Amino acid sequence: MTELLPLVPVGVTFDAFTDIDFWISVGILAGIYTIFALGLQLNVGFTGIQNFGQVGFMAIAAYSMAILTTTPDGGEGINFWISLPLSVLITIGFALLVGLPSLRLRADYFAIATIALAESVRLIALNARGLTNGAQGIFGFDRSWDDFTDGIRDFIVDIGWTDVPNIFPLFLVTWVLAIGLTIALSRMQRTPWGRVLRAIREDEDAARALGKNAFSYKLQSLALSATLAAIAGFLFVINIKFVVPDSFLPIVTFTGYAVLILGGLANYWGVAVGSIILWTILEGLRFMDLPLEETQIAALRFILLNLTLILLLAFRPQGILGKREEMVLGE
Amino acid sequence: MSSGNGGRPAIFEAEGIVKQFGGIRAVNGATMHVEEKSITALIGPNGAGKTTFFNLITGFYRPDAGRAVFAGREIQGRPPYVIANLGMVRTFQITKALARMPVIDNMMLAAPDQPGENLANVIFRPFSWRKREAEVREQAMELLDSFNLARLADEYAGTLSGGQRKLLELARALMARPRFLLLDEPMAGINPTLGRRLLDHMQRLRAEEGVTFLFIEHDMEVVMNHSDRVIVMAEGKVIADGEPHEVRQDKTVIDAYLGGAVVSQ
Repeated sequence: MTELLPLVPVGVTFDAFTDIDFWISVGILAGIYTIFALGLQLNVGFTGIQNFGQVGFMAIAAYSMAILTTTPDGGEGINFWISLPLSVLITIGFALLVGLPSLRLRADYFAIATIALAESVRLIALNARGLTNGAQGIFGFDRSWDDFTDGIRDFIVDIGWTDVPNIFPLFLVTWVLAIGLTIALSRMQRTPWGRVLRAIREDEDAARALGKNAFSYKLQSLALSATLAAIAGFLFVINIKFVVPDSFLPIVTFTGYAVLILGGLANYWGVAVGSIILWTILEGLRFMDLPLEETQIAALRFILLNLTLILLLAFRPQGILGKREEMVLGE
Repeated sequence: MSSGNGGRPAIFEAEGIVKQFGGIRAVNGATMHVEEKSITALIGPNGAGKTTFFNLITGFYRPDAGRAVFAGREIQGRPPYVIANLGMVRTFQITKALARMPVIDNMMLAAPDQPGENLANVIFRPFSWRKREAEVREQAMELLDSFNLARLADEYAGTLSGGQRKLLELARALMARPRFLLLDEPMAGINPTLGRRLLDHMQRLRAEEGVTFLFIEHDMEVVMNHSDRVIVMAEGKVIADGEPHEVRQDKTVIDAYLGGAVVSQ
């Protein structure tokens, strides 16, 4: 579980909790995981496909962006802003390639196949040193981003918040995206397209018998989810400023699932709620003033978080914003 | 389709359909035709291959051999959604109500020609589908009304009783504007009043909209009194077909299906 620790911005110390910077960086993580888990919500909550490889799409996008914008000798590659849509396209291409064979599998086998694929991506990133620089990772892809956020910060300073934290622009961009995407996906869910996805979740054969090409819709769902993973991936590596294989362990996907369960299945707003609660508990528990070693505190934080999840499942199994009827009717 | 030349032309024909599962030939060269605007019953003892035959001609299974033609088009081996979109729509023996969706959404889902089911339209032309959606909703409410389900429109389909689900499944299949409806045991598990209503609907749809029906049924009273033609399957083959009174007296049928017993009058 300690693999999660590198995700926390470097420089946060135990006494940093009075600092607004600390909570802003928690907010950034919550926002990134919101976007990440929106994709899972689309797949799991609204299409009924158990995508356990979400972190793999995140890795593909982050590496594509970093590789495109830098050169192996530390120079500049193509324009950062052009690399973003290109990397999204690469990720969608990868999702379609993965989905074409694996979405024909039964649900549980699909889950296994996607975990394996995501791990393959990470292991390839670790070993294809010529391309990815191996465990050392890739740096220096975010200069254009820094110029952009400097602009935002100058603007905020101009309107009067003179001591705005350096990371605040990233927080702002992350949450504008998280909320915008939540609204967009909620709207899409209320279209006939969203209705077909839900029908596939309920009973794929019934949807097919009514003239719906279920396979095509599942591919669309997966590709859209991969797009969300890509956006989350960009923000994720911009936040930590380097791209390394260790950022893309399966635990990231599992944390996404925890967010999903906490917030409630089949509700897009639940994702943001779940993510905020999860990260507030997890990071807030750093303030525990106990006579324990630092590693023991770290372990205890996860124990308490998981205890929260267990209690939630016992007393509110549908999650915070999930619908109980839907859970009961789902057999 | 033209119905010019006097008698009823066949809307559907199957020839030599074969499906083998391991060592068992579940369907072993089934050949039949269904006349347009008929209500045709498909009967046979358990294990005769009736449901497998349905799965084969609606694309859920791929036949090992044989031809199936619907309204002049070869359909064997085509995927289910293509066959459904051609107007040949089926229901299932065990109802497939979309439990966690409201009844009205179950209905509206089935409507054809909805541009809003296309992702590109949803993203780039967000108003392209609203007019069609309003039409579909109106049609769905009318149909629900005629099936006495209108008051349940906003309930989750999963809360419906078994009989109501059967009605919903039929109503939903009708939303797809079928020319040929295949019903797998539509009367099974529903009370006689609902069953009678379902049969009335079939008669009305045939008369008013020219829908053709092929239905699998075990209730001989229903088969003999409510179908124009009866097709009998046994051991994966069609062993007889004809009008109910002919089939009732057919020696092979009595042997294979009724084990020698006399069909009650």
